[in-house]
Amino acid sequence: MSQRGEPFDRFAAAQSESRRSAVRLGSKAGHEKRTEVLFRDYVDPDSLRRLAGEIKQHTLDHLDLYLERAQARLEANGAQVHFAADAEEACRTVLEILKSRGAKRVVKTKSMATEEIELGAFLERHGVESLETDLGEFIVQLDADKPSHIVKPIMHKDRREVARTFEGHGLGAYDDTPEVITRRAREHLRRKYLEADAGITGANFISAESGRLVLVTNEGNSRFCLAATRCHIALVGIEKLVPRDRDLGLFLNLLGRSATGQALSVYTEFISGPRGAAQPDGPEAMHVIFLDAGRSEILAGDAREILRCIRCGACLNVCPVYRQASGHAYRGVYSGPVGAVLTPLLAGEHFPEFADLPRASSLCGACNEVCPVDIPIPDLLLRLRDRGKRAGVKPAGAAPSMKSFARLASRPAAWRRALRAGRLLGLIPGPLRPRALRVWGANHVLPPWRGGAFRAWMAERKRKQP
Amino acid sequence: MSETRRLIFDRLKAALGGIADKKPLPDYPADVALSLGAREPGDPVARFGQNLEAVGGRAFTDPAALGAWLKERGATRGYCDPALVSWLTTALGDGLTLESTLARERIDDYQFGITRARGAVAETGSLILDDATTSRRLGALAPWIHVAVVTPERILPDVGSAIAALGDDPNVIFCTGPSKTADVEGILIEGVHGPGEQVALIHLFGAP
Amino acid sequence: MRAPRVQLMATCLADAFFDDVARATVEVLEHLGCEVSFPEDQTCCSQPAFNSGDWPAARSVARHCLRVFSDAAPVVVPSGSCARMVSHGALLLFEGEGEADRAGAAELAQRSWELGDFLVRGLGVARWPGRLAMRLAFHRSCHSRGTAYADGALTLLRSIEGVEVVEIGEGEQCCGFGGTFSVAFPQVSRGMGALKIDHVLATAADALVSGDSSCLMHVAGLADRTGRPLRTLHLAQVLRDALRAGGEGHP
Repeated sequence: MSQRGEPFDRFAAAQSESRRSAVRLGSKAGHEKRTEVLFRDYVDPDSLRRLAGEIKQHTLDHLDLYLERAQARLEANGAQVHFAADAEEACRTVLEILKSRGAKRVVKTKSMATEEIELGAFLERHGVESLETDLGEFIVQLDADKPSHIVKPIMHKDRREVARTFEGHGLGAYDDTPEVITRRAREHLRRKYLEADAGITGANFISAESGRLVLVTNEGNSRFCLAATRCHIALVGIEKLVPRDRDLGLFLNLLGRSATGQALSVYTEFISGPRGAAQPDGPEAMHVIFLDAGRSEILAGDAREILRCIRCGACLNVCPVYRQASGHAYRGVYSGPVGAVLTPLLAGEHFPEFADLPRASSLCGACNEVCPVDIPIPDLLLRLRDRGKRAGVKPAGAAPSMKSFARLASRPAAWRRALRAGRLLGLIPGPLRPRALRVWGANHVLPPWRGGAFRAWMAERKRKQP
Repeated sequence: MSETRRLIFDRLKAALGGIADKKPLPDYPADVALSLGAREPGDPVARFGQNLEAVGGRAFTDPAALGAWLKERGATRGYCDPALVSWLTTALGDGLTLESTLARERIDDYQFGITRARGAVAETGSLILDDATTSRRLGALAPWIHVAVVTPERILPDVGSAIAALGDDPNVIFCTGPSKTADVEGILIEGVHGPGEQVALIHLFGAP
Repeated sequence: MRAPRVQLMATCLADAFFDDVARATVEVLEHLGCEVSFPEDQTCCSQPAFNSGDWPAARSVARHCLRVFSDAAPVVVPSGSCARMVSHGALLLFEGEGEADRAGAAELAQRSWELGDFLVRGLGVARWPGRLAMRLAFHRSCHSRGTAYADGALTLLRSIEGVEVVEIGEGEQCCGFGGTFSVAFPQVSRGMGALKIDHVLATAADALVSGDSSCLMHVAGLADRTGRPLRTLHLAQVLRDALRAGGEGHP
């Protein structure tokens, strides 16, 4: 296999057929469910998406005000609020909180923000056992793998792989029945919740009006983290704010349907502070860490609309490029269309290393069409392509340079000459042709060259007219 | 920490200062996200029951019937909110043991957990749990079967009105059916870390 | 309705490969009484450079395009993707540039039309005359998202006597062309195209129709290369052929 060409494209091609099929069918099912349920429940879901997009954009445009308000409410409710400028500071803050409590074992829910900062690995390095409790993430952790989808982390795995993993980790003899796999995880993690010292979560939303965090889950793992342990640490990206509790209604209705075709996920938790005075179970201490880690910089740039994202995964599910390549092709925590924008941006000064991702798209726009907050992803991809070019990033693929094309296309006489001369392209031997042409020709039969034919026809008609 | 806070707020102000056309907060009617099904006229109690069953839960209005179902399932020993024990010991019928304390070290001995719900949401078939009305968070979560007792007049019509009524409780949960996952090959499995059976007993507390 | 004078933006692909699409476009417009002019200095809408991220190069081409089509008459283009470049892409391209560029781009945008859209919404055509006995699979090219144009084209096609239009399964899935994308990410592009071909063949249609030659070129070229040749027709060609078969077109 050729070593030339875009790494993303080579990765996609190297996927096994069964994996590509699993990803494609899983995505397709998710997309179809989303469409079915949204149009079953609403006359005009697109107007809801646009409204939600406006609310999120307004929040971003006034983020300092809402963040301030949220902090005040959380503190009034008895939570402790911290700020982390970057990943390192966030990790250190978590560790300090745990150390102050003598905490050695934590259980955590699925949280993309904690994956961004690589919290699990950091804690392990510092002597804290950190266990993923979401079934898919639990399996990913056992395998030392990486999730391949924002909502469905092991979409790329089949039951046989999971069964082998369980067997390899002493979770029972090989059995690939999904019920058995799930029961085993339930039994194993149950003990772990009860032995843990703290529960770490993210947050899907945070209302500035009430200071409520909203956690959206299906498995009961988040509830268990917050029922069995004495300390709750929530890591929340600053972009997760929404202005008011009533706005949560709109977002929750869109999130469930967009992500999994459910009106609501099984558990929607509204958490505004440590446990109630008379409640025996649950955290006595609650810490909320607001995470920047590149978000304020994105807010200052021309792709800031990406911060509206509510992590539903609908764009992944519909994306034809994601379906061909799978999540791991995106080399980051976020994959699919949102990942193609967010990963290069969150990389900050390492932007050039990820500048290929915005180009791995045909700009079809299906992502924007399904986005519950109406993010104009294709426009953002285009802006990032411009930024990549200006940063001097050299594409690895066969896309031709545009300089000579632009020269030709601004000089009509030269253009017309080239049209007539283009038939000579056929006379150039294959290996000497421009690379773009060779790559195209490898997969396509070229149409016959007809340069100048239309113009000659138009000129002839004009001549014949009175 | 306060230095970091100042740093982040400075960055935010710098980022936002240059934006000329900031979006206003749009105004919209409270029922903008009310689903079509919920716009149909109907009795909230009946709708709640139907929608709970549609998400894989079960609704009972008669404690004796609930008791018979538990026995049928072989779930004869469980945790019960102390405030409900004396009523339900009689009302559920014979053959069931209700314990009013929950011991963490024997958590898997409880085949069911019975707690009170603060209310419910008819639109989605959700139970509303909170810290004030749930005697033990673990009692509503750990056993395979969770029975939430909810009084009929606390069944709210829809998600929007349930959010308007969130109030001050620090831990409100909309509980919509039994726990589930589709992580393995997209196949739906009920009963993961939370209950595998979500039951509602729609009844006045303590009434015969 | 009196039909106006229009300017034809033929597209660089029609200029190089698909002269029959441009010819059919002229015939269709003239059938409706339009006077069609063809500014000879036209080259390209600048989309290839814009999509590649070389925005300075794109701007030089786009400025040339603005000059060429500066006449006030409406511009009609037989391509949804080029129409989208003119109506949307150029506005992004000139954000932050001078007032003259921005105003010029905005002005051209509001009088430029994709062909099907021009016929249906511009000229109010609801029924297309003539006849054509064909089963046609209709491909909604991606640039029709959020526009009225795809439905317009479908309305016209369905109205032709003898035509049976079938929708392609998973119609929202892109065919995989994406311009330079097909050359920069050829494996992914080919994978997407192969899925599209599977769906098209499943319709057992006589031909694949689209308002975009670019999509057709990619799908047909891939189908030919993989031994499953597909007949493709541009919307303009179907409309012209229906006129001819019904005895209403030019010889």
